[in-house]
Amino acid sequence: MATRTIRVDYIARVEGESSLDLRIRNGAVETVRLSIFEPPRFFEALLRGRGYTEVLDIVARICGICPIAYQMSGVHAIEDALGIAVDPAIRALRRLLYCGEWIQSHALHIVMLHAPDFLGYPDAIAMARDHGEAVERALALKKTGNELLRLLGGREIHPINARIGGFYRVPNRAELAPVAEALKGARDRAIDTLLWVAGFPFPECVRDYEFVALRHPDEYPMNEGRIVSSAGLDIAVADYETEFIERQVPYSTALHSVMKQRGVYLVGPMARYALNRDHLPAEIRALAGEVGLEPVCRNPFRSILVRSLEVVYACDEALRLIAAYEPPVRPFVPAEPRAAVGYACTEAPRGILYHQYRLDQDGTILEASLVPPTAQNQGVIEEDLREVATAALDLKEDALQARCEQSIRNHDPCISCAAHFLKLQVHRA
Amino acid sequence: MSASDRPLMLVVGIGNPDRGDDGVGPVIVRRLRGRVPPGTSVRERSGDALALIEDWKGFSSVIVVDAMAQITEPGRIYRLELTSNPLPVAFAPPSTHAFGLAETVELARNLHRLPPFLIAYLVEGEQFETGALLSPMVAKAVEDAVERILTEIPALSEAWRDHA
Repeated sequence: MATRTIRVDYIARVEGESSLDLRIRNGAVETVRLSIFEPPRFFEALLRGRGYTEVLDIVARICGICPIAYQMSGVHAIEDALGIAVDPAIRALRRLLYCGEWIQSHALHIVMLHAPDFLGYPDAIAMARDHGEAVERALALKKTGNELLRLLGGREIHPINARIGGFYRVPNRAELAPVAEALKGARDRAIDTLLWVAGFPFPECVRDYEFVALRHPDEYPMNEGRIVSSAGLDIAVADYETEFIERQVPYSTALHSVMKQRGVYLVGPMARYALNRDHLPAEIRALAGEVGLEPVCRNPFRSILVRSLEVVYACDEALRLIAAYEPPVRPFVPAEPRAAVGYACTEAPRGILYHQYRLDQDGTILEASLVPPTAQNQGVIEEDLREVATAALDLKEDALQARCEQSIRNHDPCISCAAHFLKLQVHRA
Repeated sequence: MSASDRPLMLVVGIGNPDRGDDGVGPVIVRRLRGRVPPGTSVRERSGDALALIEDWKGFSSVIVVDAMAQITEPGRIYRLELTSNPLPVAFAPPSTHAFGLAETVELARNLHRLPPFLIAYLVEGEQFETGALLSPMVAKAVEDAVERILTEIPALSEAWRDHA
């Protein structure tokens, strides 16, 4: 009986700590386990007992790459609970802030973390010797995204300027002007990056995913919308927990989220694009056509193309929002606490991020539930690995391991985000 | 000396001031403010080391000040010349959470974006808990590091003039 074991103790070029255990017996993949051993961080428990005004500063600490996603899901959920409707200019600023996060997070993943897989380099440092221009473009894109975070969020990492009802301080038009100039250059760099990525060799793979993303009636989704799927799901965000459930697996400190009816599903750029392509401007759709990106992409190795297209869109959208910007008459809408439950879901760079909070009459948090995209994609990542490894069994050990790691990175997992949710039970005698 | 070849010096303190000894870099550069000679810029950075590549653009000489994990004794100060040497792994093990100083320096080297003179001052830390203050030995090392950097700045300026 021939048994091969591929074990990767530390998966590099993903955010956080995880390992892969792949067992192959008699020419067939027997076991695939993506083990997340990032220590659980108990953010849901940390939020209990804190005031509703503290939520955004606490959840911004969950992730250094996607803090805006946590702040936006948090702010919308609390405002849902308190019945707050924000001014249109505040809504626009939030979308602009989200554009900044998409640009910096996607640029980092596309070029610094994922591209080396396609071009046969161990990392971006080695790749930079031969593809310096591409790396320089990524650094410049990341800088532009970070500039939006700094201006609107107060600082690049763990921003501090968002608050319930709006912002502590809003920018004037003059402050946004230099960012708009930077975004024009960023847009060109984003297109060059897309064209560069389009030339990569993509392994063959077609997966029958159920895509899940937000869908808004008028726009490519970021901050709001209904939760829809390629299999016909169409629910309000408040009904999330009637359709989805988190399960614990013994080998991971992160919960696996599944659909109660149909099991694993995919969130992230491929799902957003498949379910919302019609909301992309014609010019962006034309760019997708130019690089051969099909209207529904089912090859996870081509997710890097979709991600690259979204960077172009985020630059365009940010420029549109800045051009139309008129400062709000007030930076925030006042909030009054009340006993209520609030729900929100926004599109983090890696996919939908669900938040739910139950508040008492003083606005103290009684219960918090956060479901990050990586927890939702873990099932898909394992299923992908099974299929990718089965198709690549003839590869030598090193090449098979590299292909498996590339497969994991197709979904830009943010492990630290996913490991907040271990349920801890203390048995006392 | 014309304005175009005037030495431009940058001192960057890297670290999170809310994580105990990790904040020693920012603490040191704050003590340098107002004491550095003209032509020297002082900055703080937390988190994203990749941003250093943009930070040091246009500067002839750069000193980065950072904390490192304990390998011998807390408070010990190391001076490392990085222009032609990588940062040893023992001084900056790779992280799964971000690009660190070592990776940033090597990336910049391959992009030909290193400043002509790059020096790191690393201080061995002991405690990195959230909300902690500097540990006593690290706090004691701060003034020593400040003095050494103040001595280094004119020497680097001199080296730049010779180089130019």
